[in-house]
Amino acid sequence: MSLTSVKEYFTPDGNNEVLELLERYGDSAMIVAGGSFVHGLDARDLLFGIEALIDIRNLGLNQVTSDSAGLSVGAMVTFTDLQQVNEIQSSAAFGAVRDALSYPPVQIRNVATVGGNIASACPYFDLPTAAMSLGGVVQAQGPGGTREIELQAFSAGLFQNTLDENEFVTGLVFPALPARSASAFIKLESNANDLAIVNVAARITVDESGSCQQASVVVGGGVAETPVRATASENLLRGEKLSDELLKQAGIAAQSDLQPMSDHRASAAYRSAMAKTLTERALQRALARLNN
Amino acid sequence: MTELVTLEINGERHELAVEPSETLLEVLRNQLRLIGSKRGCDSGGCGCCTVHVDGKAVYSCMLFARSLQNRKVTTIEGLVQDGELDPLQTAFINEGAVQCGYCTCGMIMTAKEFLAKEEQPDEKQIRHAISGNLCRCTGYHKIVEAIKIAGASR
Repeated sequence: MSLTSVKEYFTPDGNNEVLELLERYGDSAMIVAGGSFVHGLDARDLLFGIEALIDIRNLGLNQVTSDSAGLSVGAMVTFTDLQQVNEIQSSAAFGAVRDALSYPPVQIRNVATVGGNIASACPYFDLPTAAMSLGGVVQAQGPGGTREIELQAFSAGLFQNTLDENEFVTGLVFPALPARSASAFIKLESNANDLAIVNVAARITVDESGSCQQASVVVGGGVAETPVRATASENLLRGEKLSDELLKQAGIAAQSDLQPMSDHRASAAYRSAMAKTLTERALQRALARLNN
Repeated sequence: MTELVTLEINGERHELAVEPSETLLEVLRNQLRLIGSKRGCDSGGCGCCTVHVDGKAVYSCMLFARSLQNRKVTTIEGLVQDGELDPLQTAFINEGAVQCGYCTCGMIMTAKEFLAKEEQPDEKQIRHAISGNLCRCTGYHKIVEAIKIAGASR
């Protein structure tokens, strides 16, 4: 890494100290959690003029708590930590998160954090796609206090989030889902340690008769500047029995909500074609978990 | 501004003056001359800089040394115990799992954490475990064999 403009590295012990540093350094400060994507931002020339790195590992944001309202995950919880959580390991509803965490190599899982992954607003990341399908809510702390932001409204574009000035991410909440919910996530990647070409997360909730009550289909990985809800797919599924044919139609419908990008990883047309196939497969995998 | 960071590296305590954006890999190689850990892609994609922090495999090229105050770091140089090579090192030598050698230290450090967690891994698990380490020479077969043998020899 070069990061030639960086002059200070702070490890504050409390939220107020972080807010003071953000106030003092403004746009020339950057929050660091695990730090595993700093090189990625640097390589994209997004760290120009950054003078102060503010490391938030000493704020106690490494806790995971579970209650009737849902699962609350601190910003500094690593992927490896999250993989150890009971609900993530075994619940059908959290299948999408479990799947998403299984892709990165161990060296990334041991370091990358939930907060850093969300705050980066990288359209090629996996966890945001998975968490969005589960209705994830970002927790943020700013000078005016704490605030919750729906993950769906959090990304504003390529590497752009909707945090206010001097605000930082403190955690992510997965609201409790109704009974008979299941989810799944699939990533298409060019090798075992690359960003996604396309990724898809699907979450379904059915009633006692097996009819679909809620559906959430999210497609990410460069199919737009942020992960997007495939609302056309969701509308097809809601209120229906989930037949193989319907899941196939939902895959086709997903394409209408995308504006894929072309880059060195894949063309827009390939991303669109893969989004169709992976949407169908993610729905099938979620349905299989529901029936287990 | 430079600050002092205390690290336990291969069982020895070091107080090091570290720049704000200096990585663990830079500290290991440039300050301590521990050159087993290699600089490859320098962006967390190839694995040849892999070391352990508190027993966990990490890419040392992407960790700020300033974030590691009072943590325990183990590098390939720390695997030798009382002059004896680690079973993984012996297995890599015996199986011919080393060709140019550039990936070897990182590969062994990744395998070391993996074998500490998995009692009797199968080939699929081994291949998944080293998915964050590239080798451009061997085709991986002999590396996988060496890890299998080191795991079974315990």
